[in-house]
Amino acid sequence: MKLATRSTQIEPRLKERVRPLPASLILLLLSGGLLAAILLAVSFGSVPIPIGTIGQILLNGTGVFHFARHWDPSAELIVWQVRMPVVVGAAFVGAGLSVAGVLFQGMLRNPLADPFLIGTSSGAALGAAVAFVLPFDTIYGTFFPLTPVLAFVGAAAAVLLVYAIARAGGQTPVVTLLLAGVVINAVLEALQTLILTLSPHAQFSATALFYWLAGGVSITSWPPVFVIGSIILAAVLFSLSLSGVLDVFALGEEGAAHLGVHVERRKLIIIVVGSLLTAAAVSISGLIGFVGLVIPHTMRLLLGPQHRLLLPASALAGAIFLTLADLLARVVIAPAVLPVGVFTALVGAPFFLFLLRRSKREYRW
Amino acid sequence: MVTDPLIEAQRVTFGYGRQPLLYDVHMQIHAAEMVGLLGPNGSGKTTLLRLLSGVLLPQQGQVLLKGRDLRQWRRRGVAQHIAVVPQDLHMPFAFTVEHMVSLGRTPFVSFFGSQTKCDQEIVYNAMRTCDIAALAGRVFNELSGGERQRVMVAMALAQQPELLLLDEPTAHLDIKYQIEILELVQRLNREHGVTVIAAMHDLNLAARYFARLLLFQRGIVADGRPAEVLEPGLLGRVYGVHVQVGILRGAEHLSVLPPSGADGEREQPERPKAQVHVIAGGGAGELMMRALADAHIPFVAGALNIGDSDHTLALRLANEVITEQPYAPISPEVLQRVCQSLMDVRLLIMCAAPIGPGNVGLWREALIAAQRGLAILLLVPGVADSVCVPDEPIASSDGLLQRSGMAARDYTGGEGLKLMRELLGAGAVIAGSVAEAIEMTRRYTAMNAAGKVFVQRKGSDALP
Repeated sequence: MKLATRSTQIEPRLKERVRPLPASLILLLLSGGLLAAILLAVSFGSVPIPIGTIGQILLNGTGVFHFARHWDPSAELIVWQVRMPVVVGAAFVGAGLSVAGVLFQGMLRNPLADPFLIGTSSGAALGAAVAFVLPFDTIYGTFFPLTPVLAFVGAAAAVLLVYAIARAGGQTPVVTLLLAGVVINAVLEALQTLILTLSPHAQFSATALFYWLAGGVSITSWPPVFVIGSIILAAVLFSLSLSGVLDVFALGEEGAAHLGVHVERRKLIIIVVGSLLTAAAVSISGLIGFVGLVIPHTMRLLLGPQHRLLLPASALAGAIFLTLADLLARVVIAPAVLPVGVFTALVGAPFFLFLLRRSKREYRW
Repeated sequence: MVTDPLIEAQRVTFGYGRQPLLYDVHMQIHAAEMVGLLGPNGSGKTTLLRLLSGVLLPQQGQVLLKGRDLRQWRRRGVAQHIAVVPQDLHMPFAFTVEHMVSLGRTPFVSFFGSQTKCDQEIVYNAMRTCDIAALAGRVFNELSGGERQRVMVAMALAQQPELLLLDEPTAHLDIKYQIEILELVQRLNREHGVTVIAAMHDLNLAARYFARLLLFQRGIVADGRPAEVLEPGLLGRVYGVHVQVGILRGAEHLSVLPPSGADGEREQPERPKAQVHVIAGGGAGELMMRALADAHIPFVAGALNIGDSDHTLALRLANEVITEQPYAPISPEVLQRVCQSLMDVRLLIMCAAPIGPGNVGLWREALIAAQRGLAILLLVPGVADSVCVPDEPIASSDGLLQRSGMAARDYTGGEGLKLMRELLGAGAVIAGSVAEAIEMTRRYTAMNAAGKVFVQRKGSDALP
């Protein structure tokens, strides 16, 4: 026993020599990866467009560069109006879900936590079900389709309900929060089934809802991307300021309180930010599972648990991951589109398991 | 000393539910003291530490840090003065030792800011002091118990606290690490002037390392130097086991040993045998027990529930305390012990505690003893002049009970009142004040000590 501890004490020296890349370089690499993924995703589709051309089209769009137009004018339309909204939307969704996953896992001190745990998924699904049943499609002209709006409202309302139920005597114990989440999920799912069953076009609504729930970035124009993108961007940037708090939360709530953290206040902030991210992502993508669970874990295994690096790295990695998954979903059985959720699980799970097995570190909680 | 205490608890009462766990705790700790907090499991040590660190707020009373109520401090402000070392810590993620220690700087880093050079210097110093610099790159969860404990102390040290609270720092550690960690804490206290309050399980280690000990059982039972607190009788009453305390040959400090075999069991220091039994509860017996102790009249107290303020006091003052679990009704086994004790004593003093379904059994025992011939004093403060037992019929003893307010203390729906009436009928005497009760007790025990055979008679002349 004694010998064992002695021998492992030499290890840190070695580890320090192969010290991982500096944080700035990692983030730079990930940003580059995201750019590459976006270009790749835009180039694939019913009409393949070379990446170089895409680059020129995009740079022209900035107004700074003026490349000669040697491409088919329709390519420009496809890139700007058809593919870019979807791809950029997918990137935002991936970033949002991943950061929400980091926030919830850190706050709940539970690696099993994912963004859908405390009510968001069923709230969004209920909102979407209502949207499918209602006899009109959009509010405010064609800018805001009804489904994302109601999904967003449903997700946010469900989380607030869960939080209100779990709160007692000025405290929100984590276990109560999780249990309240499970119960509310069950109730909302029951309501959703009820609404679909009673609706006059039960068959049609149910099918539509099934595809919506399976997940897929369904955007056809820029306005929703702008709205959702700015919400997600703001929430991700704000969550960077929570990295110190999240580190301290790992010590447990009492430990955090001993270090001068207002535990309940911070918990509420984290829940609000995390739910905002999830609700925004869900509203344009349906329920894409796995991203919020696996990306934070993968990043933690690769980069360590410090949230200062973990949060931005997860945002970028999540964006890359979902952009590529969305690409696969569009091209594998083109022209038909598969639900993205299928790919996030089919591709993400084996990769995560591989990492888990390879890391010698005992992964426990 | 004229200086203000660093931290002070004033009449602190706290409970997690409706039932209080700590009663009326008073304590003052001055800067640079090193205080050990002793007490059996469930005595409220950890709760007291949480109250002192401000994580819990007292329901009554207040905790003052540097003379200011903790409620008025900002959480960060408290964290800049008080650091807490938990018993054990489980990290859900693989944080390195260095990063964990640097978390100790949290109360000093602004919301958006990052750590400065100076912060890093403090973190390295803390790691060096705790001798964990070599572990800096290791993952906390993969360390041994002793190493983890040192990391937690280093983390607390990075807070540069004036007050360090430790919750059983030696639990789960083997003897080597126990000594290591306490040596470290002692060094912090002596060299860095850090005030230390540590909950301790191991009485021997407590005696060895702490200059001041607080013995705790839902309230402070004893407060003083190890020699004063580690008194076999006191420990026996608080922990419920007989122990021997002495200085081993060649050692400088007190040692607490379990009784050595069968003979140790009975080997109690010679104390005058108690001739008085006190039944109290809910604070009703406080004055009486203090007066008895002042008059050097040994007594047995009970049965009392753990957590009752009378119980805490009795642990300190009585020769023997018959103890029942917190908030439980008095069980038949415990009543049996009360009955046994009543066989041995010569006088029973019933303090004016409320009678409820839980403790009405004590009154039944008292009545049985009275019928057997035991002398009984009913202490009813507020009845101005001593009323010697009524030779009038029952009806007027009722009037007496009403007048004295005894009737109002009956929560059993009549049974308590009936028992009181029967007690008076069986020869119990009412004392109107504690002084009077002491007077009577003195005469009584003296009379018995003189060897006179005392014959209990019904009527007012039982006690002159």
